Amino acid sequence: MKIQRRSTLAMLALSSTLWLAGAMPAAAQPVQVQWWHAMGGALGERVEELVKNFNGSQNKYAVTAVYKGNYDEVINGTIAAYRAKRAPALVQIYERGFMTMLLSDATMPVQDLLDQRGYKIDWADFVKPVAGFYSYKGKLMTMPFNSSSPILWYNKAHFEKAGFAKPAETWQELEKQLYAIKQKGISACGSVLAGDYHWSLLENYSAINDLPYATKANGYQGLDTEFVYNKTSVVSQVARIKKWIDDDVMQIAGQGLSPEQLFTSGKCSTYFASTAAHSGIERESKIDWSATYLPWEEGKQPKNSTIGGASLWVMKGQKPAEYEAVAAFLAYIAKPETQFWWVKATGYVPLTNKAYELARSQGYYKEHPTREIAILQLTRGTPTANSTGFHFGNFTQTMMAQRDEFQNVVAGKKTPQAAMDDAVKRGNEILRQYEKLNKGRY
Amino acid sequence: MAAMIEAGLKRAHFKDVRLPVLLLLPQLAILLFFFFIPSFRALGQAFFLSDPFGNTVHFVGFDNFAQLLQSDTYHESGRVTVVFTILQNLLTLAVALVLAFASDRVIRGRGIYKAIILLPYAIAPVIAGILWAFLFNPAVGPLAQLLHAIGLAWDPNRVGSDAMILVILAASWKHVCYDYIFLLAGLLAVPSSLLEAAAVDGAGPLRRFFTIGLPLLMPTMFFLAVMNFVYGFFEIFAIVDAVTQGGPAGATNVLVFKVYVDGFINLDLGSSAAQSVILMVFALLMTLLQFRYVERRVSYDV
Repeated sequence: MKIQRRSTLAMLALSSTLWLAGAMPAAAQPVQVQWWHAMGGALGERVEELVKNFNGSQNKYAVTAVYKGNYDEVINGTIAAYRAKRAPALVQIYERGFMTMLLSDATMPVQDLLDQRGYKIDWADFVKPVAGFYSYKGKLMTMPFNSSSPILWYNKAHFEKAGFAKPAETWQELEKQLYAIKQKGISACGSVLAGDYHWSLLENYSAINDLPYATKANGYQGLDTEFVYNKTSVVSQVARIKKWIDDDVMQIAGQGLSPEQLFTSGKCSTYFASTAAHSGIERESKIDWSATYLPWEEGKQPKNSTIGGASLWVMKGQKPAEYEAVAAFLAYIAKPETQFWWVKATGYVPLTNKAYELARSQGYYKEHPTREIAILQLTRGTPTANSTGFHFGNFTQTMMAQRDEFQNVVAGKKTPQAAMDDAVKRGNEILRQYEKLNKGRY
Repeated sequence: MAAMIEAGLKRAHFKDVRLPVLLLLPQLAILLFFFFIPSFRALGQAFFLSDPFGNTVHFVGFDNFAQLLQSDTYHESGRVTVVFTILQNLLTLAVALVLAFASDRVIRGRGIYKAIILLPYAIAPVIAGILWAFLFNPAVGPLAQLLHAIGLAWDPNRVGSDAMILVILAASWKHVCYDYIFLLAGLLAVPSSLLEAAAVDGAGPLRRFFTIGLPLLMPTMFFLAVMNFVYGFFEIFAIVDAVTQGGPAGATNVLVFKVYVDGFINLDLGSSAAQSVILMVFALLMTLLQFRYVERRVSYDV
């Protein structure tokens, strides 16, 4: 009896709160949506600023940005939340997770969302390699957000001291320069191996030199794609890196130390890394640095590089009002003014040609020439099947297998050819598993 | 006789069943939610090939297990784990024993020594890992420079055995305090009459330690050996993540780290679940071993 009365009271209390909440004027309460992202440190502050600017620009919607850790942690958190039916409206997922998200049946194409809500977005205006990467059957599936491309960072003083104006354009010439810098005792190491070297030195190497990385246009034309990079000069590229490391011309920073620090402290003369390193290097650097295009093989006509970074996925299962909010936010992000602000704040590439034009017309790249390299490199020439991008299922897994085999080369346990053969074999098994799981869905 | 006393003790308390059940409930709930439910889900997941979001799921029977048993990387991971746990175990026990013996001898400032030796236990494993990774970083680490100065080509970024040594050092450093406190308590419990008698007979401290202290410590040592194995098998994840990330070339890719990488980075949930199940079976075996052999031998009435 007592229990019953208590529960009646609780019901009363609950219903009165509900009633109160329902009676609140709708306009005073903006629609709340959550956006999970992976931008820590300085970039995280920029994200907070972006959200604040959007929330301040209107009063119907309020986006809350939630930092969920690194890219791996965000995709894991998203999966766990989705399985518990509590997924946020918007998530930032790295480019390697594209196929996982695309065939997950858990997301909604951004192009559909924005078109349906009546936002007039000029989809054709998106920078080609960026839109190409995130499109499926001609439609943009996810909103590109922080897109980058690897470039070659260098220490100006080291190169000048060795008698070079700047790093050479080809790998062959650059190698001579780095060895000369080492021999003249100008720096302890010619280069430092970045944490994401597989992206800059193997994948983008293949794209720029127009080498097939896998069949079926690197996975764009089907799940039955197979890696073939063990049959191209990726093998000699691996041998070259191994030789540099053996000769102490290249250093591995290892755990407990970021490779970027070895460059910005002036210890190493060059650094192959993302253009997104701008915000960090500009802040940390005590050296006179500059940057240029990634090198290419002698006698080749260099192609465009491909992107890295992440995009924003809209999750299924939200309320209509929440989709209104997400659409408004994404349309805000796509605006040239927002893009220009973001480009200046971070070092990422502009997502649309309009934004790029805006930055150029305001003379931004005159003041910051290294900021333009990535976009110029991304749009260089006409993309071929080898340089459009990489669409592999379980991409992270195949990349981890490749890293593992690369380390075998560096440790001297396998020849570059044997290691890349094994990496391709392991990678293809992983691709077959993905194909088996997603048969007939691509 | 002992059984009767025990039974009497049990009867003396808890006349009513409800109180003990009530007291046990929180613990049981925690076990249910954080152990049993996840374990059964892992058991189920191990038989499926699934997209991480769970929208496409294929039943594959024992395929995930079969693939693991055929996989070279899994064998290598198993081998690495065995090497790591054995060496880590020996090093941890040996160092803890020396420290326990030494601080048992010290009279003045014993508390301070104990506090210092116990400190690493209070440090988060990730922090401990980063500390060691930095100290021995071949480019900037002061201790690595020292090794280079004496002519050792130390490079855990490239040489698998160096990376292994580094992980063992970091893991042992973090765990020595655990063994130490047990061993020290064991040594303090050695009857002083025995030690005094030996001393009167002319036995020095080392001799007394090896002929009286150590044999009496054996049950504790065995218990610690099992605990160290459990630590090495299951709790080492954060240190490996911070020190080597399982590299180079899988040289420190211990089983529990592989479960994490395959599950949470590679998103291969089926394989990761199968690996967890294998590890879980192993944990059960270790627990059985401990209960069957160790618990019986440990004598609590010293």
